Amino acid sequence: MTWATFLGNALEKNPVTGASMGQAFFGIFLSLVVFLIGQWLFKIGKGFFLFQPLFVGMVLGIAVLVVMAKWFGVSATYFYQAAYKPGGDILFWFLNPATIAFAVPLYRRNDVVKRFWLEIVLSLFVGLIISLFLTVGVSRLFGLNNVVTASMLTQAATTAIAMPVAGAIGGNTAITAMACILNAVIIYALASILIKFFRLNADPVGAGLGLGTAGHAVGTAKAVQLGSIQGSMASIAVVVISIFIDLVVPTFARMMGIFH
Amino acid sequence: MASNAKNETPATEEHEAAPILQQMGIFGAILFVSSLISPLFPATFPVPTPVLGLVILYVLLCAKIVKLYQVEKMADFLVGLIAFLFVPSGIQLTASLDIMKESGVQIVAVVVLVTIIMLVSIAYTTAGFMWISRHVFHRDTHVEE
Repeated sequence: MTWATFLGNALEKNPVTGASMGQAFFGIFLSLVVFLIGQWLFKIGKGFFLFQPLFVGMVLGIAVLVVMAKWFGVSATYFYQAAYKPGGDILFWFLNPATIAFAVPLYRRNDVVKRFWLEIVLSLFVGLIISLFLTVGVSRLFGLNNVVTASMLTQAATTAIAMPVAGAIGGNTAITAMACILNAVIIYALASILIKFFRLNADPVGAGLGLGTAGHAVGTAKAVQLGSIQGSMASIAVVVISIFIDLVVPTFARMMGIFH
Repeated sequence: MASNAKNETPATEEHEAAPILQQMGIFGAILFVSSLISPLFPATFPVPTPVLGLVILYVLLCAKIVKLYQVEKMADFLVGLIAFLFVPSGIQLTASLDIMKESGVQIVAVVVLVTIIMLVSIAYTTAGFMWISRHVFHRDTHVEE
């Protein structure tokens, strides 16, 4: 008997039925436990930013998988795919309905959307172009090559758009996926500090658009906590910025000589 | 919400929330329809199912075909869960540990900077356009919670 007897192995097929041998119980249980530990730490740590439940959950979850993989003598990537992924995928699927749920906070402040739709669209477009130039600048500063730089350009979009567009301009989609995940974790952990530091409080429309762009769905959930205007603006940013990435980034990458 | 008299969204108190299974039904239907439309977009212009679904639900709410009380409870529940639902994505980085080991520190540093750059450049640009609206076009840009 090995670990796969108990946890299931999604990378092996049942020799009789051909069905995957993966089991979802471990992945779902582990996700819940690490997140709840995160919530508990956040509470007793009096809201210390590194104790944000999502950040703690991610770090602890990865640590548990790495340690278990080592213990069982397999690689961490293999153990993740074989034992954790079936359960993780079930929870991950619920990001689909959770994303369309943002139509509700968006609609709740339809008054703001109707008043400022032009400012919103212009700000997202111009702001995105500015951030694209700065992204190239920072990437060059850190000596990243064209492949990695291309992977960085699309991260404002939701993952399902960021990855294929990054691939189309010669980027590494795995790096893009990682960037999108880190965006969310960083914004969720640092939103309050960043808003205070850059004095974004005065303009709830701008703060909301920024949070939705930089933090995707998670940033939008954070914006909903800050206020109805922020939540509504972040929701609209998720949609509009993704479409702008679709439209703008391929041309931008060619212009900057990142992709020929 | 009651504080804003001009708010066009219907007051939630008017209606009791729809049964949760009906709310799930609406979400399920919108997702399914979106998943049928999403593949029709060309590969060079991907529009993923959840983004399309967000737009469809918003349009249905604006057209008053779907009422707020029919989706509100489910939506608030899901939005509140998002940080948790993102845990598997975070743990997915286990599979990218190799990339991180290679040139990890640089990439992570750039991503952290780019995240802040995106937030700040969008927020400051918005403040700029709001300033133009206010001072050049003399529009009232005051918003109330």
